[in-house]
Amino acid sequence: MSRKVLIIDDDADFTEAVGVYLETHGYQVISAPNGREGLRLAKAEAPDVVLMDVVMDERTEGFFTLQQLRRTPGLERMPVFVVSSIYSSVPGFSITPEKSWLRHDDFIAKPVDLPRLLELIDARLNQAGTANASGGAA
Amino acid sequence: MNPETRSATPPAPAAAAPPAEVMVVIDDDYAMRLSCRQILTKMGYRVEVFEDGAAGLDGVARSKPPLVVVDLKMPGISGQEVIARVHELDPEIVIIVITGYATIATAVEAMKSGAYDFLPKPFTPDELRLIVGRGLERRRLQQEARRLQLERELLKRKFITFVSHQLKTPLVAIHQYLDVLLRLGDSPTAAEKRDEWLGRCIKRTEEMQDLIRDWLTLAQAEGGALTRHREPVDLGHLLQQIALTYEGLVSSSELALQCAIEPGALVVQADRQALSVLFDNLITNAIKYNRPGGSITVYGGEDAGEIRVSVTDTGYGIPEDARPYLFDEFFRVGGTAAPRTSGTGLGLPICRRIVTELGGTIEVTSETGSGSTFTVRLPVGSATPPQPGAQG
Ligand SMILES: Nc1ncnc2c1ncn2[C@@H]1O[C@H](COP(=O)(O)OP(=O)(O)OP(=O)(O)O)[C@@H](O)[C@H]1O
Ligand SMILES: [Mg+2]
Repeated sequence: MSRKVLIIDDDADFTEAVGVYLETHGYQVISAPNGREGLRLAKAEAPDVVLMDVVMDERTEGFFTLQQLRRTPGLERMPVFVVSSIYSSVPGFSITPEKSWLRHDDFIAKPVDLPRLLELIDARLNQAGTANASGGAA
Repeated sequence: MNPETRSATPPAPAAAAPPAEVMVVIDDDYAMRLSCRQILTKMGYRVEVFEDGAAGLDGVARSKPPLVVVDLKMPGISGQEVIARVHELDPEIVIIVITGYATIATAVEAMKSGAYDFLPKPFTPDELRLIVGRGLERRRLQQEARRLQLERELLKRKFITFVSHQLKTPLVAIHQYLDVLLRLGDSPTAAEKRDEWLGRCIKRTEEMQDLIRDWLTLAQAEGGALTRHREPVDLGHLLQQIALTYEGLVSSSELALQCAIEPGALVVQADRQALSVLFDNLITNAIKYNRPGGSITVYGGEDAGEIRVSVTDTGYGIPEDARPYLFDEFFRVGGTAAPRTSGTGLGLPICRRIVTELGGTIEVTSETGSGSTFTVRLPVGSATPPQPGAQG
């Protein structure tokens, strides 16, 4: 059985491109266009990893969804990567992941560096340990 | 009030009346300190008095008063220096200088170094009250102006942050498509997806073009440039012309568009291109947020000395809680009622700007689920062109 990735993003093109890439690397990909649907899938489909956009219908929908996910029994430890283009290091306009309450490595900037994404997912899954180990991404 | 609750709850803390503001008086003359204290206390302030500059500065640093009254001639630290040091602590503190007749020249110096005004000794309570009142009022106005300025800057920053995010979003999609295509090389997946994905990339570049175009149009409208070249325009005629250009889109969207223009000329004094931008936006929305089988009605008529144009659709309507934000930059109705459409959320802000520049109003009424009407009212213009030079 292949590992399952849930992409929560309101940009269908982003989801399609990254989804196909992950599929060609052996992942099963499911997706949701907003936080509400994402939360539903996270509960129903038990993905191994979640990629979550921040700015969807609501400006901080991703953070809000992440918070809800963390409060859902059974999903507290689900590996989540926040994937966003809101972060910027330009002085005066800087928003950095450290300023939010995210762990540094849980954050991936858009556009996503795809080989690096695979590495990060792999690392997280191995770290998640035996409980989740169920089979192989290529 | 129920006496029981009253006795059960302790009296509300100072919330009802905010604590009185502190004023600081620095003067080595005991009588002066006393009378200043009396006058200011009567005005409702808390007063702290100090007999020399050093103690006074400590007091100012501690109490952060909005206003300081200081004697120029004191032993120890001079009044001049007190002024400078107070403003080092907080440049917004209003400083009133008290001085004897002999030192008017010095008082002028003091004002040059930042005091708000001076009061020659002896002065009447009324004089002190007047000057204190004026000083505090100026401080209030300055703070208000600064707050507005700050708000404007914040808004501008927010706008820039937002525009850059809106531009980044399609760029990211394009980047991601092209990157994956490159990485997939000539695999079957790539062959299967290539054409569709390239088509999507082009769509996304169009989205960026639209955003940039609307952004520039908005900036143009805001500077008044879009409404500068005014001439008498027959709106009835213009609306018919605009409607014609939508025939194709209307029928391919399975909609019907009709113009209901009242007879007689509907003349406004306006920029023809601005009017086109305005009604293009309203009609495009009426098409975009409509359903197959629906209709769009463009009405034009004169009403109580104004030209009234309305664009009515039978579409999804606008939820009541969204209506107050419709004309805000980048606002788009989210949620699931209507299917996702592309758009910048700048169309209606542009409309509002143009209408305002032309001295008119725009408003919306809507029934969620059954349609919306956008109504524009413009002043009636005269049919003859204005005299040359009258255009400024
Ligand atoms: N006639 C309408 N019926 C229903 N909703 C509307 C209508 N007109 C506007 N809206 C809502 O108001 C939002 C803002 O409209 P606006 O014209 O400013 O931007 P847009 O249509 O999204 O983008 P653009 O006009 O730049 O393509 C729309 O996204 C839509 O949700
Ligand atoms: Mg629009």
